[in-house]
Amino acid sequence: MRNDVRGERLARGLSQAALGEALGVSRQTVNSIETGRYMPSLPLAIALARYFSKTVEEVFHVND
Amino acid sequence: MSTTDKVSPATRWAVPGVAALAGVAYLVAGLLGGDVSFGVLGFVLMLGTGVVFMLVARRSDTLAGLRDRTDERINAIDRSASLVAGMAVLLAVLVMFVVEIAQGADGSPYYQLGALGGVTYLLSLIWLRYRR
Repeated sequence: MRNDVRGERLARGLSQAALGEALGVSRQTVNSIETGRYMPSLPLAIALARYFSKTVEEVFHVND
Repeated sequence: MSTTDKVSPATRWAVPGVAALAGVAYLVAGLLGGDVSFGVLGFVLMLGTGVVFMLVARRSDTLAGLRDRTDERINAIDRSASLVAGMAVLLAVLVMFVVEIAQGADGSPYYQLGALGGVTYLLSLIWLRYRR
């Protein structure tokens, strides 16, 4: 599973810590999601997508 | 839907609270058993553990996550670590049970501990099966 969290975050000039604070998770958790080491839960994935005003499918992509 | 639940004081103080309670239990056990130094040492050690946990949690995101329980990744890591620790203890209990039997003993208290682990697992399985 790939995701565009890093790109969306950088496009908004946000730090990992700022995004984590907005979502109620740690900076390391944001980093782990961006690098693909951690797969977020559905509520967190939806929260991330909503934060970027996108759908979940636009942020997270299944590897073909 | 929210991923930013407020942290209740009960959650925030759970770990140091349990450490303090364990310390009090050690102290009472030491006093009752006539081993005052064990009781005092255990009390100070557990109280110190709680204080160090709270202090380090100010700088460590991992410990802060364990304290606040709001970060799902830290919670998942905690569950996995607890599983590994539980399996290690259960494995040690089973090994010690076999060693005790091989030495001609009745396997106590390891067979009781093993049974406790097995029954707890089964009850948890049934409970979680109906909840999820």
